[in-house]
Amino acid sequence: MTDDILTRNHVTLSGRGTQPMLFAHGFGCDQTMWRFVAPAFEDDYRVILFDYVGSGRSDLRAYDPERYGHLEGYARDVLDICEALDLRDVVFVGHSVSSMVGILAAREAPERFAHLILIGPSPHYLNDPSGYTGGFNRTDLEGLLDLMDKNYIGWANVLAPVIMKNEERPELTGELEASFCSTDPIIARRFAEATFFADNRADLPGVTVPTLVLQCSDDAIAPDTVGQYVHEHIPGSAFRKLAATGHCPHMSHPEETVEVMKAYLAEADVSA
Amino acid sequence: MDDLLDTAPCGFFSVADDGTVLHANATLRALVGADDLVGRHLDAFLSPGARIFYQTHVFPLLRVEGRADEIYLSLRDRQGGDVPVLLNAVRRARGGRPVSDAVVVPMRRRNQFESELLQARQAAEEANRARARFLSMVSHDLRAPLGAINLASDLLASGAVGPVNDAQRHDLERIREASAYVLGLVADLLNFARVEANRADVRVRPVAVQAVLDRAVDVVEHLAVEARLTLAREGDDAGAAVLADPERLQQVLLNLLTNALKFTPAGGRVTLAAERAGGAVLLHVCDTGPGIPPEAAERIFDPFVQLEQSGGAALREGVGLGLAISRELARAMGGDLTVASVVGAGSTFTVRLPAATLPEEVAA
Repeated sequence: MTDDILTRNHVTLSGRGTQPMLFAHGFGCDQTMWRFVAPAFEDDYRVILFDYVGSGRSDLRAYDPERYGHLEGYARDVLDICEALDLRDVVFVGHSVSSMVGILAAREAPERFAHLILIGPSPHYLNDPSGYTGGFNRTDLEGLLDLMDKNYIGWANVLAPVIMKNEERPELTGELEASFCSTDPIIARRFAEATFFADNRADLPGVTVPTLVLQCSDDAIAPDTVGQYVHEHIPGSAFRKLAATGHCPHMSHPEETVEVMKAYLAEADVSA
Repeated sequence: MDDLLDTAPCGFFSVADDGTVLHANATLRALVGADDLVGRHLDAFLSPGARIFYQTHVFPLLRVEGRADEIYLSLRDRQGGDVPVLLNAVRRARGGRPVSDAVVVPMRRRNQFESELLQARQAAEEANRARARFLSMVSHDLRAPLGAINLASDLLASGAVGPVNDAQRHDLERIREASAYVLGLVADLLNFARVEANRADVRVRPVAVQAVLDRAVDVVEHLAVEARLTLAREGDDAGAAVLADPERLQQVLLNLLTNALKFTPAGGRVTLAAERAGGAVLLHVCDTGPGIPPEAAERIFDPFVQLEQSGGAALREGVGLGLAISRELARAMGGDLTVASVVGAGSTFTVRLPAATLPEEVAA
């Protein structure tokens, strides 16, 4: 069972520490996106990277449209990995949609998590007439789905042979690595819908695990007001504004991201 | 920016990792209706959907792989209108820091065509799914009453309900044969619906060719005897292995063999042979039957197609799904099913599958 989950989610382990630090990638790519940040924690933590089923080098045969039609299904992947490796005291680092996935996982099994570090979190991407500003209208998000459909026409052809998971032809794996953002178009669309049409605002107040919200400057996907909203609704959470702009500080400004994460964890250690 | 770049018939811009525009040529400025873009954020001229796509796909690609090719994006002009473009970009160090250089080519008309193609494809996929659902439903609905017919005729034939004379027993046997035949067709329909809906559970692994061929011959040998045909094995398949789902491969081979045995006139010959060809293994089922006219050679793999004899009668009974299913299965296993035929001389159906190496315990 353990091996099945580790293979299914293409779990990779590194680091010389004992406390687990679990990195969860965002929508669009895979665990490769952590390569500029994760090594900085290998001295002090047991670093765990993985791909959600349907992304990267996960086992696509394990994909179930029902399960992965909601973020709860992705949270189940996180918990499956925690259970398979019997992880406790986990520092969970989630980018973008994985922030909400981490929140769902921590709500279900708070005893496994020591900290949640949420990079660019948004509990709801749509603007709400009630006064909440998620940043997007429905037509904006439909525009994104249209872009994905058109781009994946070409990418799907690249990926098609890999779906066979053909162990006899390792060169196909190289092909997948060479296009780590590509995935099965139907899976990607469903992930996008699960991500961008989700509303997890009601889940925030129930988070009991100590949480850090990392907010980028000028983030078009998760604007300042959204990061503030997450901070205000998760009891006792910390909030750090990065000088880094954009939505992927772990790729665009890895040094600052590492520094802020380490400072938060050091402070938390002292106060604990 | 030099004149040549400014007047080039495509937009050009350079952007820092944080999204700040460092250069933008006049063509791009004209495309989005902006006087100046330098110093502004890329988001200033991307549509909302494109902003997300850039952050979730394009920037990660540039950061990890150093380039992004043929990305469809949508720019936003000053009036809020969408400008569909194709983007190519590379990320490199310049002036001591990483910079991504990108060209964008407007593609309004092509975008329109692609939207139409995409819609057509989605409609076709939906129609396919609807057809598969319909087939699946019909097959299930047919199966239940057929089961009842079988059960009732068995019960009558056993004499449990009352004495049965020979003529009645003969008729009951005909009822039973007919319903068994229809059940076979229904199973075919279900199988086809399943393959069509991509639910065929194909799990490939290295499979020894010899064992698969032996088993297939064992199963159909009695048919060859009944039809007074010679069934032979040819070629050297010792040690050869293919990457396949053994059950599915068996299904394909049995379909091809039973077809060959049914079509070939008494006294003829059906052979099963394996041949290595580069990275693949070819499995041939050859017969000395009537052959298939060239114009029909591809059509026979279409669902519901049965070749007709010159007289107009179906060459054999059935709804013509066996070959369609077999080809789908062969393709699902990473191979193919093709036919070569000479009218009057016979046909050779060839299953091509990726060659494999057997793990030691399987080979032993």
